[in-house]
Amino acid sequence: MFRLLGNKLFWLILLVVIVSLVTMSQTTLPRENITVLEKAVHYIYTPLQNGIDGLGGHWGNLRDLFSDKRTLHDRIEELEKRNAQMAVDNQILREYEAESKRLQNLLGFQQDSLDLYDLKPAAIIARSANNWNKNLVINVGESDGIKRGMPVITPYGLVGRINSVSLNSAQVSLITDREMAIGVILQRSRETNGIVEGIGESNQLRMNNIPYYSSIEKNDRVITSGLSSDYPKGIDIGIIERVNPEPSGLLLTAEVKPAVNFDRLEEVLVITNYYPPVSEEQEGEQ
Amino acid sequence: MRYVILAFLPFLAIFVQSTFFNQYSIKGSIPDLVLIFVVFHALFTGEKRGTIYGMLCGLLEDLYVGRFIGVNVLAKGLTGYIIGKTQGNVFKENLLVGIVAVVAGTLINSLAVVFLMMICGGVVKVEVISSILYQSLYNLLLAGPLYLWYYYSTYDGWLRMDRGEF
Repeated sequence: MFRLLGNKLFWLILLVVIVSLVTMSQTTLPRENITVLEKAVHYIYTPLQNGIDGLGGHWGNLRDLFSDKRTLHDRIEELEKRNAQMAVDNQILREYEAESKRLQNLLGFQQDSLDLYDLKPAAIIARSANNWNKNLVINVGESDGIKRGMPVITPYGLVGRINSVSLNSAQVSLITDREMAIGVILQRSRETNGIVEGIGESNQLRMNNIPYYSSIEKNDRVITSGLSSDYPKGIDIGIIERVNPEPSGLLLTAEVKPAVNFDRLEEVLVITNYYPPVSEEQEGEQ
Repeated sequence: MRYVILAFLPFLAIFVQSTFFNQYSIKGSIPDLVLIFVVFHALFTGEKRGTIYGMLCGLLEDLYVGRFIGVNVLAKGLTGYIIGKTQGNVFKENLLVGIVAVVAGTLINSLAVVFLMMICGGVVKVEVISSILYQSLYNLLLAGPLYLWYYYSTYDGWLRMDRGEF
C-alpha cells in the first residue's frame, strides 16, 4: 500500500481519473461551444471524411455503369410511374395548400408550415464512431451559418438536431439516439400526445406515455407536436408498427418505424431559421 | 516507426468506424477497432503500457465524439490494465488468446462505459445489452485477422519491439 503511494504513475492515473470524472459530468448535456481540442480533432477528420464521401459517390457511379441494363430499365420505369402518381398528388395538395392558406388568413392563424423555413442542404460525411451515440457528421459548419440546436430533416421526415458545430462540419444527434426525446402527436386523430424516444437502433423508435384510452392503431402516422420547441410542428417521424400495454395498465407504448431510412441516408436539410414559438408567459418576462 | 504506427492506429480506427463500418453495421452496431488495438497492445506490453495506451486512445475517441468526455479514457484505460495483467501468463502464439482477449475486453469496456454513464446521469436503456452483444460478435469476427497482423508486426514488422520491451 505504502509502496503504491510512492509510485508516480499511481498519482498520475489518479489525477487522470479525477479529471475524467469531472469532464464527464460537465459534458453530459450538449454544450453551447465545444473546446479547441475537439475542434482541432474535427478539423483533421473533416477533409478526410469529405474525401471518402466523394470517393463513395464516384464508386457508386462506376458501379451503376456496369450494372445490369435490364434492372436499370425496370427501375426507371417504376420511378416514372411513381413520378406520374406524385405529380397528380402534388396538384391535389397544391389545391389544399391554397385553400388552407386562405382559411388561415381568414381566421388569423399563425402559419406553421415547412415552406416557411430556409433549408440548407448538406451531405453526410461520417457517422457515429461508437455504439453509444447515434449521430452524423455533415459537411456544413460555422462558416455556413450552422448553429447548435437547428433541426435537421429530409423530404421524408425528421432526422435530428445539430449537436455541435466546427468550422466546416457539424455533428447531428439522430432521433434514434438513446438520449433523444421528442413530443409527438398522431396525424390522424391529432389527440394522442406522447414522447418518441430513440433506443439506439438505426430503424426503430419507441413512443411512450400514451394514455390507455387513446385511439392509436397500427400504421398511424406520427408527427412532431411542436410542444418540445426544439422542432417545428408537423414533421413526419414514422408510422406505428405495434402497440403494447404497459404493465401498470394506465399507459401504452408503441414501436415506431422511422420515416427516414437512417442506414441509407446520404443528404439532409438543415432548417436555419426555426425559432421556437414564445409562450405568453415568456413574452411577459421579456 | 513503432510509435508512429501506434499513434496512427486509433486515428485510423476512428476514421474507419465512422465511415466504412457504418455501412455494414449489425443491427446498428459497429465494431470497436480502437478497443481491439488497446487489447492487443496490453496483451503484448503489459498493464502499465496497456493502461496508458488505452487512456490516450480513449481520449482521442472522446474528443471526436464530444459527449461524456473521459468515459472512454477510463473504460479503455481499465480494459488495458486488466488485459495487460494477463501478459506474462498467456501463450500469445495461440490465435485463440487474441480472440478471447478481444471478447473479454469488449465486455469489460462496455460494462465500464455503462457504469460510468449511469453515475454521470446518462440515459442507459435495456436495449444496450443487445448492442453490447452485437458489438462483441463483430469484434470477435475481426479479432482473428487483426491479431495475426498485430502478432507478426510485433515480432517482425512495423510494430517490432526492442528486446527489453517484451
